[in-house]
Amino acid sequence: MDQIIREKIKQVKKGDQAAFSDVVEFYQNKIYQHCYRMLGNAHEAEDMAQEAFIRAYVNIDSFDDGRKFSTWLYRIATNLTIDRIRKRKPDFFLDAEIKGTEGLDMYSQLASTDISPSDKVEGIELQRYIHQEISELPPKYRSIIILRYIEEFSLQEISEILDIPLGTVKTRIHRGREALRKRLRHV
Amino acid sequence: MNAHSESIALMHKYLDGDLNKAEEQQLKGHLEGCEDCQAHLRDLKRTIALLQSSEHIEAPPSFAEKVMNNLPKEKKRMKYKR
Repeated sequence: MDQIIREKIKQVKKGDQAAFSDVVEFYQNKIYQHCYRMLGNAHEAEDMAQEAFIRAYVNIDSFDDGRKFSTWLYRIATNLTIDRIRKRKPDFFLDAEIKGTEGLDMYSQLASTDISPSDKVEGIELQRYIHQEISELPPKYRSIIILRYIEEFSLQEISEILDIPLGTVKTRIHRGREALRKRLRHV
Repeated sequence: MNAHSESIALMHKYLDGDLNKAEEQQLKGHLEGCEDCQAHLRDLKRTIALLQSSEHIEAPPSFAEKVMNNLPKEKKRMKYKR
């Protein structure tokens, strides 16, 4: 697959726009999911994922063919989502609640009543709860936890995607795991 | 650093596949006698399992089409080449 993508990128660089649609088809679910996990909601996720592909296209000449395209694309998407989180208005979460994500109700319910191990939170509810807990991590831990455990990148790849030293990735993944351990302990 | 925080640091190295033999022995030794740390490691592993069980999410329908419709116009030099 890497080889096919490499070829497509070459064509895009030569100015063949149609070749880019195969690139989008191939990465759309991954990049959308990444944005969704980073931002916590579908609306912003779609906007940012769209923007990530458009930026990749516009800046394709600055992509170094010797590197992995996926790493470059994930970096664009991650930077966009982190910028978006920084620019959010303080009332954003209130809006999100009004629009009816049951995840938030779910969260307050769980926070107030300790769930014993015998009470299973199943299926969709559990998924929502985990999603909610991920979205509440500080973004610098969130990105690493998502890349490692949902998208299954190695720590070395994460260091390349985020352009931070491997040691920093390790420190942050430790803190991210500890934060989530505390949050998910009662599930 | 006390024995517990040292053992927690080792747990994280273990989870990243970074433990050397001596550290592995040290962690095992501590875990044998410490139920709190056993529980801590169990919780960490469970947390990871929960994350890995997250469902995969797909892009909305016509996502790719929308991207393609929003790209800037094709570079002129390509059109001349054809």
